[in-house]
Amino acid sequence: MENKHQVPVTVLTGFLGAGKTTLLNRILTEQHGQKYAVIVNEFGEQGIDNDLVVDADEEVFEMNNGCICCTVRGDLIRILSGLMKRADKLDAIIVETTGLADPAPVAQTFFVDQDVANKTKLDAIVTVADAVHLSSQIEDHHEAEEQIAFGDVILLNKIDLVKDENIDVVTKRIRKINPFAKIIKTTKCGAPLKEILNLDAFSLKRILEVEPDFLESDHDHEHDDDVTSLSFVSDKPLDMEKFQNWFGKLLQTKGQDIMRTKGILDFKGENDRYVFQGVHMLMDASPMGKWPDDKERSSRLVFIGRNLETMNLKEGFEACKSE
Amino acid sequence: MTTDLNQFPQLDKTKFEQRGIQLEIGVPVTCAVSIGNYIAAGFGDGTIRIFSSEEKHKTLKAHKGVILCMAKDGDNILTGGDDGYFLKISLNGEINKIANFGSRWVDHVTAHNGNLVCSSGKVVYYWDKNKKEPKSLNHDSTIGGLAFDAKGRRLAVSRYGGVTIWKKDYSNKWKSTKLDWKGSHNKVSFSPDGKYLVTSMQENVLRCWRLKDKLDFAMSGYGSKVKSFAFIDDTSYLATSGAIDAICWPFDGEGPMGRTPICVPYVGNNQVTFIEPFPDEKAIFAGLSDGSVFLSQIENENKTIIIRSFTGSEVSAIAMTDDKSSIFIGDMNGNTLWTSIWDQ
Repeated sequence: MENKHQVPVTVLTGFLGAGKTTLLNRILTEQHGQKYAVIVNEFGEQGIDNDLVVDADEEVFEMNNGCICCTVRGDLIRILSGLMKRADKLDAIIVETTGLADPAPVAQTFFVDQDVANKTKLDAIVTVADAVHLSSQIEDHHEAEEQIAFGDVILLNKIDLVKDENIDVVTKRIRKINPFAKIIKTTKCGAPLKEILNLDAFSLKRILEVEPDFLESDHDHEHDDDVTSLSFVSDKPLDMEKFQNWFGKLLQTKGQDIMRTKGILDFKGENDRYVFQGVHMLMDASPMGKWPDDKERSSRLVFIGRNLETMNLKEGFEACKSE
Repeated sequence: MTTDLNQFPQLDKTKFEQRGIQLEIGVPVTCAVSIGNYIAAGFGDGTIRIFSSEEKHKTLKAHKGVILCMAKDGDNILTGGDDGYFLKISLNGEINKIANFGSRWVDHVTAHNGNLVCSSGKVVYYWDKNKKEPKSLNHDSTIGGLAFDAKGRRLAVSRYGGVTIWKKDYSNKWKSTKLDWKGSHNKVSFSPDGKYLVTSMQENVLRCWRLKDKLDFAMSGYGSKVKSFAFIDDTSYLATSGAIDAICWPFDGEGPMGRTPICVPYVGNNQVTFIEPFPDEKAIFAGLSDGSVFLSQIENENKTIIIRSFTGSEVSAIAMTDDKSSIFIGDMNGNTLWTSIWDQ
């Protein structure tokens, strides 16, 4: 089943007026000869120049009888399965979310629904952020913060309207929330499309290629509701059983506050590198081949979420180190 | 889903394939219905093919995009498409537009005694056969399925959070009652005896309500989503896809509660993806994820014969003519088989 063809799906998110439609139209006009389907929401701006535009209501529901972490986008399941019945094969699908949407249910849909996962794959979450207004939006709306937290690529747009020193402030703010997103500074969303499409950001292999900033992050924060990130590094191999117990329980009990996780792990007695990534409680993990000879073995782990400082993550991780 | 053909021995054609007509359309078969001794099949490119034993099949271009759903209305075919059109098509190939919803898909269609119904998004549109304009029945979420009961008095509409049952009261006003269960409900069906209502859910489970007291229960244990189910021999069994066996729940007597289903097994690990009843018999056609199709008795030690061998693509439509003489089979790669059932 490895060679099955999966149509890549790019999710475009970002606050109202940040420039999502500008980016969408750029993608559609610059990618000549490619067949795209665009799924827009009912509040979307008009004027999308594509012959296959599908209207969607963002219908979020909880699967498995109300499990919060199995919250998915029902409309996406329906529309993606309909698109897969088309005669003409699609090169890619782009999902535009409303400005106030939480990206987690979109991402979770690709983990939870078997049919969606068989025929399509989440390529990347692209967040368009307004350099002028992002700081205040983050303060006032938790959705803006979540969209930054979930982004694989963040287009910091409208930088022509902001002083250089303010761009640095905004960039730092983004980095604090999300250390592994690629930040691209643009005016009118003018980023090269190869940095936005076909990134395969959710594949485990890709995590090895684009290593996030596994810096020991500072632990200061303004108030408890902030989305922040924490990362941990260990040169000492981990005990697999201890890690599984700790991490499994952590996601089970704190999965709602932990938005994204990524990591590369070195287990004692194992020759392979273990790579994982997760969205809330859902996780994808696999051994990814031997450690390269020219690289020191070490374990690295990143969390993005709320209230991370209350979870004793450092202590929990330290306790997983092998004797 | 792809299958490595080299894993399988090269099977000879079945006798049904030898005497039938096999086509490779190259476009997914999305639906099929029987209309008398004709079968109409819908495809992912908006075409319809009409098969009969009298003449060569006819091809019609009906929709611009995917034909998402199909139903019969007397001698006519009703279709809904992702081009937003709701169409009525005669067996001669005459196409009539009933409605156009623009960029909104027509997800489900059904009909009873000349009354036509379709859903687009959250709204069900009901055309009384004596009226030109439809009545809109609104719901809070997108509709997952539509079904009339056997007499056409009640219309079940599945959606997120359960099912709404619509019925006209004595003053001809629409009244609704709700059956609630958390989650997304897709295909819906009344049992032919009118005592039960069944939905398949987004999870790998079926929900069933006993209508006299609204007692509800789950039918679970499936390895994948139950995309296809059908009541067999009136209300003797509910046969379901979603597992490597065809799972047949007994609905006679006191119903399925506390009873174990009969599992009709097939060779290998392919999922059953489509179920079609053999009318008036305790027997089913089961289509599998590898494209093979079997006819099986539910009782009598599950006596099974192969109708079509594997194609490598999941079976997405099976329909039998009303005189039970011929059968149509289609899959997601557009491989079709049209064949007589009986040896000459």
